Amino acid sequence: MLRYIIFAPLVGAVINWFVGRRLRNETVIGLVACGSVAVSALFAFMSAFGEHGALHASTPTLDHLWTWIEVGGFRADFGLAMDRLSGIYACFITFVGLLIHIFAMGYMHGDKGFYRFFAYLNLFMFMMLTLILADNLLLMFVGWEGVGLCSYLLIGYYFDRKEAGDAAKKAFVANRVGDWGVVLGIMLVFFLTGTISFFDKPATVSGAAGGVESALRLIGAMPVDPFTWGAIFAGGITSAAVLLFIGATGKSAQIPLFVWLPDAMAGPTPVSALIHAATMVTAGVYMIVRCSSIFTHAPTAMFIVAIIGAATAIFAATIGIAQNDIKKVLAYSTVSQLGYMMLACGVGAFVAAIFHVMTHAFFKALLFLGSGSVIHGMHHEQDMRRMGGLKKYMPVTYWTMFTGWLAISGIPIFAGFFSKDEILWKTWSTESIAIPGAASKILWGVGAITALLTAIYMTRMMVMTFHGTERFLEVAAGGQADEAHAHAYDEGAKPHAAQADSAGDRPRHQAGESTSTTYTDAAAHGSNATTQHHDAHADDAHIDNDAHDAHQHHGTHIPHESPWVMTVPLIVLAVLSTLGGLVGVPYALSAGAIPNYFEHTLEPVVAHAPEHGSGAASHGAAATSRANETTYGATGTPESHSTAAEHPEGAAPQAVGEGVAGGVPASEHTHDPAEVRAERIFSGISIAIALVGIGIGWTLFRRRPLLEMPRLLENKYYVDEAYDATIINPLKTGSREVLWRFFDVSVVDGIVNGIGRGVSQIGSAARYMQSGFVRSYAAVILIGALAVIGYFAYAAYKIIPFMR
Amino acid sequence: MQQYLLTILILLPTLGAIAVAAHGFAPYRRETHYRWIALAFSIATFALSLLLLGGGIGEGAANEFRFVQNSSWIGAIGARYHLGVDGMSLWLVLLTTLLVPISILSSWHAVEKRPAAFYAFILLLEGAMIGVFVSLDLLVFYLFFEASLVPMFFLIGVWGGERRIYAAAKFFIYTALGSLLMLVGIIALYFIYANQVGGGQGTFDYVVLFNALQTGQMSIDARAGFWLFLAFGLAFAIKVPLFPFHTWLPDAHTEAPTAGSVILAGVLLKMGTYGLMRFNFGLFPEASREWAWLAIILAVVGIIYGALVAMVQPDVKRLVAYSSVSHMGFVVLGMFSFTEQGMQGALYQMLNHGVSTGALFLLVGMIYERRHTRQIDDFGGLSKPMPWFATILVITSLSSVGLPLLNGFVGEFLIMLGMWTSDTLNAPWSRIATMLAATGVIWAAVYMLWMLQRVLFGRVTNEKNARLNDLSAREIGLLAPLLALMLLMGAYPRPFLSRSRASVEQVRERVASPGRGGTLAVIEKP
Repeated sequence: MLRYIIFAPLVGAVINWFVGRRLRNETVIGLVACGSVAVSALFAFMSAFGEHGALHASTPTLDHLWTWIEVGGFRADFGLAMDRLSGIYACFITFVGLLIHIFAMGYMHGDKGFYRFFAYLNLFMFMMLTLILADNLLLMFVGWEGVGLCSYLLIGYYFDRKEAGDAAKKAFVANRVGDWGVVLGIMLVFFLTGTISFFDKPATVSGAAGGVESALRLIGAMPVDPFTWGAIFAGGITSAAVLLFIGATGKSAQIPLFVWLPDAMAGPTPVSALIHAATMVTAGVYMIVRCSSIFTHAPTAMFIVAIIGAATAIFAATIGIAQNDIKKVLAYSTVSQLGYMMLACGVGAFVAAIFHVMTHAFFKALLFLGSGSVIHGMHHEQDMRRMGGLKKYMPVTYWTMFTGWLAISGIPIFAGFFSKDEILWKTWSTESIAIPGAASKILWGVGAITALLTAIYMTRMMVMTFHGTERFLEVAAGGQADEAHAHAYDEGAKPHAAQADSAGDRPRHQAGESTSTTYTDAAAHGSNATTQHHDAHADDAHIDNDAHDAHQHHGTHIPHESPWVMTVPLIVLAVLSTLGGLVGVPYALSAGAIPNYFEHTLEPVVAHAPEHGSGAASHGAAATSRANETTYGATGTPESHSTAAEHPEGAAPQAVGEGVAGGVPASEHTHDPAEVRAERIFSGISIAIALVGIGIGWTLFRRRPLLEMPRLLENKYYVDEAYDATIINPLKTGSREVLWRFFDVSVVDGIVNGIGRGVSQIGSAARYMQSGFVRSYAAVILIGALAVIGYFAYAAYKIIPFMR
Repeated sequence: MQQYLLTILILLPTLGAIAVAAHGFAPYRRETHYRWIALAFSIATFALSLLLLGGGIGEGAANEFRFVQNSSWIGAIGARYHLGVDGMSLWLVLLTTLLVPISILSSWHAVEKRPAAFYAFILLLEGAMIGVFVSLDLLVFYLFFEASLVPMFFLIGVWGGERRIYAAAKFFIYTALGSLLMLVGIIALYFIYANQVGGGQGTFDYVVLFNALQTGQMSIDARAGFWLFLAFGLAFAIKVPLFPFHTWLPDAHTEAPTAGSVILAGVLLKMGTYGLMRFNFGLFPEASREWAWLAIILAVVGIIYGALVAMVQPDVKRLVAYSSVSHMGFVVLGMFSFTEQGMQGALYQMLNHGVSTGALFLLVGMIYERRHTRQIDDFGGLSKPMPWFATILVITSLSSVGLPLLNGFVGEFLIMLGMWTSDTLNAPWSRIATMLAATGVIWAAVYMLWMLQRVLFGRVTNEKNARLNDLSAREIGLLAPLLALMLLMGAYPRPFLSRSRASVEQVRERVASPGRGGTLAVIEKP
């Protein structure tokens, strides 16, 4: 059954690529695309919630298709599996994916490449679901690279624009750097365990004699690596974890490989929502949680994950505060939120990480689609400095984004609150041996500041977009308002004239060819702009009759609300962003009134980080906890003992509480009052942070939405420039000048040609042989050959005993 | 019939060449007839070669040569006409017979000068290439190995680009020099055998030599082993080409006509890696083990070096040529890991490289025919006028950079896995070599995508590109089988790998654990 989940979108992609190309009928293409994802969603929900659904089963559902690679002891199946983790993932991916597909039908309306867009989008769904449902590391890697490919194709969707091509390539290459780690990590896991399967597959399913063993279970039964820096290079579990994490920094846009994600906004907005917010970029988090038994056995790697996560969160949040492009704000926000998820993984709060992945998928997809609706309504304007006051024109978009705003800022009831609060609390209270001493408090502090920044930049975005004066009416104002964005403004007297250059995301309409050239011309000629522009839009009007009507003949576009295909997904996502968090309300906040379904479901399938104190404190799946108990004490190196000793209190009250729980999943059964009290206090702090952040944002930007932001932040700390100067340019120049022109051409060929010349000079002593090209070369060859044969005959005579 | 099939496969293209040439004297001759004759013969050869799949190769647990023909050739020196196919050569023969009709089709309109000679040379080349892969007698092998040089020399030298003479001469001298060394090595082996086993009568028979060495009847002392390894190894290393013997390749590839480049990259380079695996490992396992470290270093350097130099090439064909240096580095790396994964991966990667790089050269040839330039800067935005070309080029490039589910990934992954778990080098070094080699996958993405971006994407900046015709039905048709193979070999490699397993395993056991592994079995009568 699982196979239908992944292959339905693939069929959709193939149909649209071959049939949709000829049909050019948007309704049919859209129906095929959405229908295939709907089928996929249906099967995903049936597999997850159905009678023997994965979400309440104790063993994963397996679907073995064929054995993909089998060489020597190595075996990788094309086999699918759905356990609780992949069940949750598959459900929200197909569901959010379906909403985004529907939204895209409206957003991409009139685009020339409509069929191509949906074929790519469906292909993406296939790859993403393969990633999630793969039953082994290598097939997961297929999806992993596959989503990277689709991301490449979709970022570069507007392929005639250079920045789109550049961004696409950057994304693919940055991901490839990460994939280097994944490939090596997979090999190391194979080396350590002799298998790469996630699950035990009995012989009846896999067809392999003796079945396939689970690499995760085998590693779970191994001793925990010592908490030392040396462990990274020891070639053990820690090395594997670090290598896999390198992949996660690429896919999930963490420091140092995050640079591709903001640029990826050059793709159409539904792509940003689906791939670069809700699904693909969380693949790194998925992988870490999937491999949680590897990471929990590698405390050094966990520590690195936590630090990188926290650093990325705060780093991206500071950049996000200073961006003026609405999609760039959301992009950095995504990087920052991914940092939270990584932080959660690092401190061992895997359930909280996945919870945040899910709520983030809801509210960030909502915010991106909302921004898409704004961009659509603003006729492909993305600069927030030219927005303002849109609330009046786009009420549905505003109110839906409003819920997204509250959700991401962390206002209670809204989905983001529960997940983010949980991450912060788990960070503060972690007892993982991977987080030494006061590190958990520092990490919490970083997370809390990030939460504050998040509330500030989201408030700024909402204020700049929806409140205040209607800056899009100030036709020429843009020119003075911002010098920094000179590129977009310099040339055009009218905002539209500059559109062709500034719009980062611009569906090309049927008349797109002429439209875009007209725009460019208009930008160049300035005074002609208005008339030419009108011509272009008159063309549009014929095709585009539900969205752009009534606006064709204004000098300035009046924003309009988007059609229902776009607003309905927004509304659904707004509901999810509001209520979606209720499936995971912690006991401390609900006092048992609402069971924590999310934790209940996931707790059994993630591993538990060994904790400070004693082996008795570790709990969870029997195999893992047994492994931890027997091995933690035994392998504890001086370092890990000393870190444990540094804070003997080790958040002592909790340690007792957790200790009692030993072996029982979830804290549902043990609610130490002190712990509950502390968690409530921290929730209060979280709420206060959110409110303060919104307050700061509101007071700062309500009156002065165009407030100048620090140049360093606006320019993203010059990270791209630094990479160019230190890595990319030296590589290019070095390869061209040193390797190619010097070594290849001068040195090696110089020697070869020198020999050739020498021989041919000897040959030319006999000038009469130079009667024609081929013959003269034949002579050279002959002489050379004779010389060589002669030499070697002599050499052979000396070497071979028989001839001596 | 079975024992003559290989001879027929060698002779049929040769007959085709004669037919093409003879047609030149026919009174009713037409320029367009040559290509049809050539195509008919090459397709017939391909169809016949498919019979090899039915021979049960690789189905048994142990390695066996099938379709064997063994008769005396030059009795006085014990040279025999000994042919046979096992799992290692099976796929290479099929690759050859597949690529030749494709390259004939690709030359359909491209070759106007002396078409009779052109097609005759291609068919002669095919016969020689098949001969190389099925020879079980070293002298016969050597003859075919050399015979393949001559048609290629003329293909480059007559139908090549501007610097064709330089390129052809360089190609010929480089490779002929290498193979002469091998000839000396072959003669030396003959005398060693004569001295130790044959009582004065030597042999060139690979199977006899292999088994004599395996059973200990014959032994090669370390010093002679080293020199023999070097003589064979250098010949093959130049052919591969292994860094730093690669500089003939960019010139030859770039100047050769499309069909020549396809065959050169697709098949001729594999003679080098095939030879290393078959003869160097089979005959000189000790020296192979001893010098593996050097081969691994050169392979890793070649992987990175080839990729970095490919990155900065202004000429598409040269870029693909340098990418071959990088890919063939992977093949050598995998072989010298002496693990089943590595060596199977290497063999698989030979096929992958033939398919993907062959397709890349075909695609480059197609735009060259239209624009008569290969400079990347002369293109840009081709995806607009040529959407099918763009689609196929993107898929082929992705296969070349090793995207999973396409063929390149399976080979590269197995090679890296093999090296990672290899004990050829001391503990950390095999890991380090793998980690360095794995960066080749990153570089591949860089140079390929950058090329794609500059050729296919962006706006059409050059007026001449705006009105280009998209691929014709013939062009799509000749690429289609390669595309299908990319998908099939990527998603379902088992039928390929399972047939070569026993052969590779035998060589691996021989080279990795001396004394283990059986003698070569030859099934003379099915």
